[in-house]
Amino acid sequence: MVPYFGNFALWLSLFFSISQFFISKNNNFKLIKISVNGLLISSLISFFLLMYSHVVSDFSLLNVFQNSHTTKPMLYKISGMWGNHEGSMLLWILVLTIFNYFIFKFYKKNNSKFVSKILETQAFIAIGFILFTIITSNPFERIIPAQENGLGFNPILQDPALAIHPPLLYIGYVGLSAAFSTGVAALKLNDNEKIPWHIYMKPFVITAWTFLTIGIALGSIWAYYELGWGGWWFWDPVENASFMPWLLATALLHSLIIVERKKSLQTWALLLSILAFLLSVIGTFLVRSGILTSVHTFALDPSRGIYILLFTAVLGIYALMLFRKKSQKYFDNNYFAFFSKEGSILVNNVLMVVVCATVFLGTIYPLLIEALTSNKISVGEPFYNSTVIPIIVPAILVMGVGPLLSWTKEDKLKIFKKIFPSILFTGIMTILIFLFYQSYSAIGITGIILAFWIISNNLLMIFKKSRNYSTSMIISHLGVGLLILGITGSSVWQIEKITKMQIEDQIKIEKYTIVFEKIDEIKGANYVALQGNFLVYDEEKNVITKLKPQKRFYPITNNFTTEASIHTNLLRDLYIVLGDGNLKDGWVVKFYYNPLVVWIWIGALVIFFGGIISINNNLNKLRTLT
Amino acid sequence: MITKKIFITFIFISQLLLSNSYSVEPDEILQNPKQELRARNISKYIRCMVCQNQSIDESDAPLAKDLRILIRNQIKDGKNDEEIYKFLTDRYGDFILLKPAFKLNTLALWLLPFVFVLVGIFIVFFHNKKSKKI
Amino acid sequence: MKKNIFIVSFIFFILILLVFFYLLTIERNPTELPSNLLNKNVPKFEADSLIKKEKFISSEEFGNEIVLVNFFATWCRPCLEEHNYIKRFSNEEKIRIIGINYKDNKKAAINWLSKLGNPYSNIPIDKDGRVAIDWGVYGIPETFVITSKGIIKYRHVGPITEKVYKKINLLIEKIE
Repeated sequence: MVPYFGNFALWLSLFFSISQFFISKNNNFKLIKISVNGLLISSLISFFLLMYSHVVSDFSLLNVFQNSHTTKPMLYKISGMWGNHEGSMLLWILVLTIFNYFIFKFYKKNNSKFVSKILETQAFIAIGFILFTIITSNPFERIIPAQENGLGFNPILQDPALAIHPPLLYIGYVGLSAAFSTGVAALKLNDNEKIPWHIYMKPFVITAWTFLTIGIALGSIWAYYELGWGGWWFWDPVENASFMPWLLATALLHSLIIVERKKSLQTWALLLSILAFLLSVIGTFLVRSGILTSVHTFALDPSRGIYILLFTAVLGIYALMLFRKKSQKYFDNNYFAFFSKEGSILVNNVLMVVVCATVFLGTIYPLLIEALTSNKISVGEPFYNSTVIPIIVPAILVMGVGPLLSWTKEDKLKIFKKIFPSILFTGIMTILIFLFYQSYSAIGITGIILAFWIISNNLLMIFKKSRNYSTSMIISHLGVGLLILGITGSSVWQIEKITKMQIEDQIKIEKYTIVFEKIDEIKGANYVALQGNFLVYDEEKNVITKLKPQKRFYPITNNFTTEASIHTNLLRDLYIVLGDGNLKDGWVVKFYYNPLVVWIWIGALVIFFGGIISINNNLNKLRTLT
Repeated sequence: MITKKIFITFIFISQLLLSNSYSVEPDEILQNPKQELRARNISKYIRCMVCQNQSIDESDAPLAKDLRILIRNQIKDGKNDEEIYKFLTDRYGDFILLKPAFKLNTLALWLLPFVFVLVGIFIVFFHNKKSKKI
Repeated sequence: MKKNIFIVSFIFFILILLVFFYLLTIERNPTELPSNLLNKNVPKFEADSLIKKEKFISSEEFGNEIVLVNFFATWCRPCLEEHNYIKRFSNEEKIRIIGINYKDNKKAAINWLSKLGNPYSNIPIDKDGRVAIDWGVYGIPETFVITSKGIIKYRHVGPITEKVYKKINLLIEKIE
């Protein structure tokens, strides 16, 4: 019963998206309203009906059978619904229809033509995704006969951070689709129609950027805590697929500031809005087509890949041709001084695009080589570290000083006077840190200087209390400084100790003494585990904490996992992983002392928080305008 | 459904096999700290062939362990870094290098980022110059 | 000037899409790696033999006729699944097959083969996996086709399937 309704609702949403597409061409308010609402409601229904099927463990549905099991904890029954390819498409569609609804909220008599053009493009995108789902990835497909129980769900995915990671990322991607549609609509306008398209685009870009930030951060947090080797970014193709749209969204965000302020760089911003979403779709392609394998890839089905590729081609060719033909009317040749706020935003834009191009190059290069020469090569972390880091360094330097500059050209001496306190503060903090950690490396110095350069410049702006400085900008930029601090500390000053231990053995790491107390056998909801108990003592022989790393076995899916045990404080993480061994020979244990790691997550959260404030400010502004 | 199938397989196999390893194990570590550091650095650039995007330094797969030990033996035998990389690429091809080699077919890969930066700088100055005239 | 930049970037966009399309439509396995030893000589090695008393010496075993080399182990599940095909190569196609026993237990291997049937003409023991590394092996089972001159012509990673069985037979007919 339920699956039939779910499938029906899915077809219904296809119907509404098609009707929205054609009706918005005619700009009929009442009919558009019906389409938008119909689209939203039908996708809500299909989404919740699939979720219901997962919650009640309806194994007559292939999707539930393949991805669930009666013993799976309820939280993961719910989130597991979108943790697979077919279910995640329903999530994509739902978020798409929600944003579609918000676009429609803009609709007024004086902008009706423009907004219906946005809705037209958005409808086309929705048609593309819904059709894809129905044709190649229908989650309501049945399995006959209905099964008793399911195949279970990969245990390393059963984690709260990972549960919420897809919805947040999709808000990001879909927000970029709304920006794309706004850009296309702006290009489609006739030469005599003047609409401040950037006012409509900005809230979507800010929302997309904010949620891409937190979505990516949660993915890294999950990797750090869950995968057991302390890494949090691997330049995996699918990580890159989320990072590239983020980079362009950052550039777009900043260029919209210039568009707002000086009405210049409009063509550039429009181009960015097209490219950002195109990259999101290409990212979808890389994940779901089977062209690469990665820890993240969902499906290995070339027909899905061909569909998405065609969809990308249609969107891309149409939008880029439109841009070529009609962007001229937005073109300007306004002058801007290099040493000004505008100049620094332009530098940021250029560098973000260059980093994006480099990451894109590294990601697809193995595929290009394979297609052209049948050889396989790897482009791994060392490539990205050697190329991306040198390009980001100047971007960060400019990011420190940019917001302090005025919009027009400024006297260089005046600039120097402004930033002198932060130069001083940066220098002092760098020296202090190096005295503390007693380790000197070029990367370390660079990282610390950059981190405190950002932090001190933003503190300067806070103390100046001038109304010119946007709160959300200061907070987000501060977050970046903290992020860099965390990245530098944890990469450069990490201490690793690997050793074989018998029960009651102890080891010293930094100022801590860690004693291997005992091994337990633990039973969990859907797993059994071997747990090591370690007591951590500080210099005064006080017990700081008890760490309990595990090696788990999930019988339903036949998986082994390692669960690291981590003690966190602001200065460092103590990270223990239990290896193999036995009571006779002892156990291999891996200890990590990770300085400042928590600042990576704090920094990301602060950036996110700044974004939220900006979304709020934007919404307030919109309310007063409309 | 095929989610992470390969990753699961790798964990499963690595845990199930007889000679288990857990990244650099204590009995692999060389006595000479300089040599050990060399071994770690080389290992960080060698891909684990049965993992997703990990180096043999991070991975606990048995093949990764074998290669780590092999590298350490070659260092003890006095081989230099190039010879060790060549030994591995002769057998596994360039795919095993996480840092792509500097070859004809990777010329574009290594040069293009510089080109991108130059193009970026060029665009900024070109736009600036052009608009100054107005 | 701007026009040219646009045209060039647009062409790149289309080219990249075409490359993706090409890769999707050809038959490829994203996880499988082409052997770096193709068209090169068989690696030289000596090892104890599982069943025979004399040592296995590669220069004696290769370079006379077409040979298949199959890396296997008793603990390897896909090796069990493909064993029938290995037997078929030996019994039906009359091809000589050398089985390299990878990181295994001698007794277990002998038992395994006596239970399932031994299709191998000789079985060198690769106790520590060094021979496998010299052959660029990364995931057993792996099967190699060697010409009569001792040149490696083809390598398959993973268990032999019906498709691969046919492919190898065709290849052998071609090199004959």
